[in-house]
Amino acid sequence: MSDESNTFNEQMMEMFIFETNQAIEQLEDILLQIEKESVMTEENINEIFRIMHTIKGSSSMMMITNVAKATHSLEDLFFFVREKQLQNVDLDATCDLVFNTIDFINQEISKIENKQQADGDEEPLVEQIRRALARLKNPGNAKEQEDTHELEMKETNENSEREDQGVTDQTVKKHFIEQTPEVLEKQRYIAKVHFEEDCKMENIRAFTVVRNLADHVDELHHNPIELFEDENSTKAIVENGFDLFFTTAEPYDNIFQILDTSLFVEKIQLEQVDSYDALVKQIEKAQQDEEMVQVETEDELIKEDPEEILQEKVNLQNVINVGKKKNIISVNVEKMDLLMDLVGEIVITESMVTKNPDLAGLELDSFNKAARQLRKLNNELQDIVMSIRMIEIGPTFHKMHRIVRDMNKKLNKKAELFISGEETEVDKNIIDALGEPLLHMIRNALDHGIETEEERIAKGKPTEGKIQLEAINTGGDVLIRITDDGKGLDRDQILQKAKRNLLLPKSEEDMTDKEVYNLILLPGFSTKEDVTEFSGRGVGMDVVQKSIDKIGGVIQIDSKMNEGTIINIKIPLTLAIIDGMKISVGQSIFTIPTTTIRESFKPEKKDIIKDTAGNEMILIRGECYPIVRLDQLFDMKGYVSELEKGILVVVESEEVSFCVFADDIIGEQQVVVKPIPAYLRQYNIKNSGIAGCAILGNADISLILDIAGIAEKI
Amino acid sequence: MKRVLIVDDAAFMRYTIKAMIEKKEEYEVVGEAENGAIGVAKYKELAPDIVTMDITMPEMDGLQALKEIKKLDPHAKVLMVSAMGQEKLVKDSIISGAKGFIVKPFKEDKIMEALAKI
Amino acid sequence: MADHVNEVEFMEEDTQKGRFLTFQLGGEVFGIEIKYVTEIVGIQPITDIPEVPNYVKGIINLRGKIIPVVDVRLKFKKETIPYNDRTCIVVIDLDEVSMGLIVDAVSEVLTITEENIVPPPSYKTGFQNRYIKGVGKTDSGVKLLLDCKKLLTSEELQEISELE
Repeated sequence: MSDESNTFNEQMMEMFIFETNQAIEQLEDILLQIEKESVMTEENINEIFRIMHTIKGSSSMMMITNVAKATHSLEDLFFFVREKQLQNVDLDATCDLVFNTIDFINQEISKIENKQQADGDEEPLVEQIRRALARLKNPGNAKEQEDTHELEMKETNENSEREDQGVTDQTVKKHFIEQTPEVLEKQRYIAKVHFEEDCKMENIRAFTVVRNLADHVDELHHNPIELFEDENSTKAIVENGFDLFFTTAEPYDNIFQILDTSLFVEKIQLEQVDSYDALVKQIEKAQQDEEMVQVETEDELIKEDPEEILQEKVNLQNVINVGKKKNIISVNVEKMDLLMDLVGEIVITESMVTKNPDLAGLELDSFNKAARQLRKLNNELQDIVMSIRMIEIGPTFHKMHRIVRDMNKKLNKKAELFISGEETEVDKNIIDALGEPLLHMIRNALDHGIETEEERIAKGKPTEGKIQLEAINTGGDVLIRITDDGKGLDRDQILQKAKRNLLLPKSEEDMTDKEVYNLILLPGFSTKEDVTEFSGRGVGMDVVQKSIDKIGGVIQIDSKMNEGTIINIKIPLTLAIIDGMKISVGQSIFTIPTTTIRESFKPEKKDIIKDTAGNEMILIRGECYPIVRLDQLFDMKGYVSELEKGILVVVESEEVSFCVFADDIIGEQQVVVKPIPAYLRQYNIKNSGIAGCAILGNADISLILDIAGIAEKI
Repeated sequence: MKRVLIVDDAAFMRYTIKAMIEKKEEYEVVGEAENGAIGVAKYKELAPDIVTMDITMPEMDGLQALKEIKKLDPHAKVLMVSAMGQEKLVKDSIISGAKGFIVKPFKEDKIMEALAKI
Repeated sequence: MADHVNEVEFMEEDTQKGRFLTFQLGGEVFGIEIKYVTEIVGIQPITDIPEVPNYVKGIINLRGKIIPVVDVRLKFKKETIPYNDRTCIVVIDLDEVSMGLIVDAVSEVLTITEENIVPPPSYKTGFQNRYIKGVGKTDSGVKLLLDCKKLLTSEELQEISELE
């Protein structure tokens, strides 16, 4: 059914894209290493060759011919380098070629992922590679216009003859024995074999037929005579069929069967004849060089060279040692999402059961014990499911090395990228969303931040610029930080630009440094005037802001003229199931993450004091803590206004402690955290003190307090 | 029921070949290997009826693996999977006892035809 | 992708073009392209949220998904009436951004062909006019057809794009 085959094709394509991307990542790592150490080892060459070969094979299976052709030509180049064991390869140029090919492949795959045709023209790239190969072959004369593939084919044969140890078969073998009287009982045949269209390597297929037949016949001639040395043999076989002339005692049917056992044989014409000598002589005359070779038995062919045996043993040992390959399976993300949702619902349903109003007031020891066990198991389940979705951020960061390398080259700058916190695990959504913003910011750092070598020397800075990419886990959030030691942001310039574009939210004098720097995140800030080739292609930091917004993150920028810039991105781990304490304020129920709670109590009037500004504070064990009234903070109606009639919950975030005033504490509950809906992100909710939403057991929604956010406001 | 062992270093190829083969009820893929050495080990372990063998692989290539398998079992039926440009290795494989070969890219009908004949 | 349509007639994508869900608001009847409507539910408890304009009433829990709801009367600066059992929430979705529109009542699904749609009033001022994509003429009267993209986009961005 077409439906089935469509899904099959889709799956194949997904597999292809996945594997090719992996291969490319590996390839880039190798190239970056080669460039860093300025040397290309034999192992490197083999690996590059193998990866190109694999991509060529897979892409041709998927009928992406331009990629297949491009990788094929690179494969040829590296084959040559490998065979000739070239020492003086221009590393720079070669790596560039490979990087260019990678870019081409990525580009085509991108098209396919977007359901477009992979219609890129590979010719310019292939031409580039061909010329490079020609140069390698004739360092003095770069004008060689030979078809490099043919050349390589010839050399393949030559070279392999040299290195051949076990297999000594060089040309066509012929059985040739004298005709003796006993032969007269046998029958002579002529046969013509046609192979299926486009089954490829027809000369070798003909060779297979010869081999299959050899043991059953006494005399064997064939046309074309030369199957391997002659490039035209394949063509001749395809056009005219493969002719055989032989003598045998075996019955017709047997011989026909034998001819038929070869793969991809389409047509067999088998005829008993009285003599074929004349025909054979004709053919032999037509050939110019004819060699009569000893018949080689199979035993000889498989003769092993002791060195070869040793090499095999070494190979096998290596395989056994390389057992550190990770045991990984790839899982469809949709299945993971379904699993997450299901686990979330189990949490809610568990509450609905164990905290069911029907059970209020009953003595349920046995039930409670079972409920605790259920809770414990659910916790474990959650942890594991959560951890499956979490992926290390390392690989995403790692991709930036290539970007830095490219930018360095194109802008003639020297900057090195340092990465830390690679093991930090983040939800897959976040990984997906971070790629592009990171790319953009790293490009910015190189384009607008890091100065050229001369400028840096003039400023007394180390010639190599430093860009640092960090990931830090702060418990409830992940902090991604990009630091560069470049020329920093120009506060005045930014202010002027913002003024020009009517983007100033308040008067110049009232703006703090950080607020000014953050202006570059506003849509409409980056105008078309300052487009460079890489950053600001009409695309400013506002696009980064948008992407970060989507995952509920916040960006903050700081900078110092001539010292550098720091960009902090705080991303809440919103895909979570947390322990929360429910509190009520008027009609609303808020949830405070249990991890932030220190204690809670009913305050006494005598302990409540006011500071000079009129802000309420409470004395606890000799220390003063500010009080935050949620009804005032959120402009919502609370029922209780007198502090001593409500509850104070002491919370802490990064060294800052304060008290949240609520009407009442309802109870502890595990809640599923859902992010604030996309539509609402245009409003300032994130900075208002709300971290996300929680769906309670009774299907009501409770807003989760962002304790860290509120702490900052105090 | 013909039991097949697929040996290829590209997961994509193993996946594709397996999917193609298993459409026919009389075939069952009993194992996969990502290099020649593992292929030989699996041959020993599983004793399949047919082996599809990729030619270029790391650790131990298809030709080597073929030879090893033939040593274990002279009657082993091995189908070499090759790409253009590997004529020498294909030829050597035939000499070393491979039953036949198929060239990438190939469509489903071609490989099924080859397997049926082997 | 929010392609599932629940309490509304299920139609093929192509034929959804030109089909509008109509609803009442005060004296006027508005229409919204069916292809953006994912669900219609009766009015249900809304959770208040801080720092939003008055017409954003809050959020609701729709089978585990949190949907922000907007009172259309308030958004179009009309008088509000108390919610009753005819009040509905029409949930629209575009590119994974969802929101619910609180309307007086839902009427019917109508087919309005291109010829029967005229451009909206030229003055882009007025609290509702910027959201009107066109005016549809039907047997049962004139329907103001809403622009879902505008409804779901941020106000700021709209203002900026209008400045350019």
